[in-house]
Amino acid sequence: MELTTILFYLFSIVTIGAAAVMVFSKNIVHSAFALMFALIGVAALYVLLYADFLAATQLLVYVGGILILILFGVMLTSLGYTFNFRTITVNLVPATVLSTGAAVLLIFAFVTTEWKITEVAERPDTVYDLGMMLMGDYILPFIVAGVLLLIAIIGAILMSTRLSAENKGGT
Amino acid sequence: MTQYLLNINPIAILVHAAIPLTIILVYALVAIWAERKVAGFIQDRLGPMRVGGWHGWAQSIADLLKLIQKEDIIPADSSRFLFKFAPFMMFAASYAAFAVIPFSSSYIGSNINIGVFYLLAVTSVLTLSIIMAGWASNNKWSLLGGMRSAAQLVSYEVPTIATVLTVIVVTGSLNLMTITEMQSGNDILGFLPNWLIFQNPFLLVAFVIFFISILAESHRVPFDLPESESELVAGYQTEYSGMRWAMFMLAEYADMLLLSLLGATLFFGGWNSPFGEFMSGPFWSFFWFMLKGLLLVFVMMWIRWTLPRYRVDQLMYICWSILIPLSFINLVLVALWEVIF
Amino acid sequence: MVEAFKNSWITFKSIFIGMGITIRHFFGKSVTLQYPDERPVLPNNARAKLYVNIDDCIGCNLCARACPVNCIYIDTVPSTSDVDLGKTSTGNPKRFWLTRFDIDMAKCMYCDLCVHPCPTNCIYMVSEYEYSEFNRTNLIYHFSNLEPAMVAEVKEKAANEAAEKQRQREEMMRKKAEEAKMKQIEAKKQAEEKNDGEKGSEPSKKENGDS
Repeated sequence: MELTTILFYLFSIVTIGAAAVMVFSKNIVHSAFALMFALIGVAALYVLLYADFLAATQLLVYVGGILILILFGVMLTSLGYTFNFRTITVNLVPATVLSTGAAVLLIFAFVTTEWKITEVAERPDTVYDLGMMLMGDYILPFIVAGVLLLIAIIGAILMSTRLSAENKGGT
Repeated sequence: MTQYLLNINPIAILVHAAIPLTIILVYALVAIWAERKVAGFIQDRLGPMRVGGWHGWAQSIADLLKLIQKEDIIPADSSRFLFKFAPFMMFAASYAAFAVIPFSSSYIGSNINIGVFYLLAVTSVLTLSIIMAGWASNNKWSLLGGMRSAAQLVSYEVPTIATVLTVIVVTGSLNLMTITEMQSGNDILGFLPNWLIFQNPFLLVAFVIFFISILAESHRVPFDLPESESELVAGYQTEYSGMRWAMFMLAEYADMLLLSLLGATLFFGGWNSPFGEFMSGPFWSFFWFMLKGLLLVFVMMWIRWTLPRYRVDQLMYICWSILIPLSFINLVLVALWEVIF
Repeated sequence: MVEAFKNSWITFKSIFIGMGITIRHFFGKSVTLQYPDERPVLPNNARAKLYVNIDDCIGCNLCARACPVNCIYIDTVPSTSDVDLGKTSTGNPKRFWLTRFDIDMAKCMYCDLCVHPCPTNCIYMVSEYEYSEFNRTNLIYHFSNLEPAMVAEVKEKAANEAAEKQRQREEMMRKKAEEAKMKQIEAKKQAEEKNDGEKGSEPSKKENGDS
């Protein structure tokens, strides 16, 4: 077997295993760390597909940013970081129906789609191409996304300042 | 590049990958000794003197041997897997980032196009490993240290990335090898080397911001809040002992070297000799590169034994209210300078 | 804005001043003395270990009395008349055998108070400071140079002489007592004789007393 294939299966197992641990773990912080392994595994899979920029972005944004925010949120919530939530199944019948339906749909889509298989090839200059595309063909979505994020940041600042102002007034 | 690497002999890959590891290990031994010597000299002491003869040069080796023999204590209520895993993940993250550092004109671990971006992405995993260690220890000091470290690293990543961006605006490349090659030659004012720090006055400001940020990113004084010995015992390392603790120490020093070398590459011409063609070549370029990096490491140590530690709120204030706006303004100014000249 | 620039200017200035100070110390000379290899030269009046020049000691016990923590133990035996113990270097005659002169350095607090009362300057501090021991009893220093046999002999002799003196004294006392008795008796006799001659004058005395 080729080294690339071995690496692919290795990282796939890591990703799927970590995702399973994330779902079934009873400790919410363990779930968060399992999510980290899953995300790193996905980043490694991107690398194997020659999408190095995407892999680095995955690490920087998801692992270095969002996951830390999740952990912060978990640890700063009042329930505490050692809180074990109990996994009881509620709403058994609707949940079964819905998940079966979703599974059937997914499998159906997976089987019936004609997957376009292309040979992976290394691109000499991913960053340059990405930059040209973002500033050329996809300039509108790029700017829209930027504006959306800006609005989100301003909203967050507004909410936090209003909250602190209320607190000041109260005390 | 990946395909090329994956097709060659695995042993060759291992040897290729072991070069930065060797550099890190040797450097860590020297740097820990040097740190203690610098501390000693600055405080009018001598530092370690007894092990190994001349100025106690074998002190770190003796310490290492001691740490290997120590018992590996795992707290009863800790989360065992995460507790055991955290130090290795931290070192792995530091070590992985060395892959894109051009150590010499003829050696770079992996000459990928997204060099700096990869480096920043991989080092962001450090934060997670610190939170992991802090949480898994199940100790209040550890958790506080971990949380502080997370807050600090997330905040200081922004000015670091912004200052790295200013360099990228000038060079137009993310590849550290290309960035270094662009800085060769001695053209500025006839004798100064073409290093970025001399090319543009705003890049000097960028370097100052960058240096402050990397001090914070590698948890050095005055920003060593995650492990502040005098208030948090040792922060996230409190429950660790023996080899696992040594891994943390190693990762911390490796991180210091990594960020210093990054600074040397981005602002001080990487492996370029300051005398143009004189004393250049694969070996000399390695020498110049390490010299620049170690000088920055020395400045970090010097600062450590000079300045007191900041408070948490001051740390956040410096980052969010001063460094981030300044670095963004600086980014715009550098871009304007590049457009005009 | 101006304020902010001012503040950052002050910050950077103070950081560089501080770093200048530390770099000066970095290249400066260190004050460390590498102890087992190099040793400090102690001043002459340094207080370290007590030493007794036992040949000069006259056993006056002044040092033991001056000691605030009672760490000096002196036992003396008076010398017999047949031995001359000689004189100290300061010219004081020695009159006691020093059967015991112990100093417990574990208790000593280096106050120097025992040194000054000594009339012959035989107890003083020496600059030896490395005398730690694993056993505390090893810190009791014995300065007396008498052999145990000698001590016993000296004690016996002294006891004999003391007994002899006691006997002599008793003899003397008895003689004195006898003499006194004799005197008393004689005095009585004389008084009786006087009384006999002066009997007539007694009533007149009584009258004088009544009047």
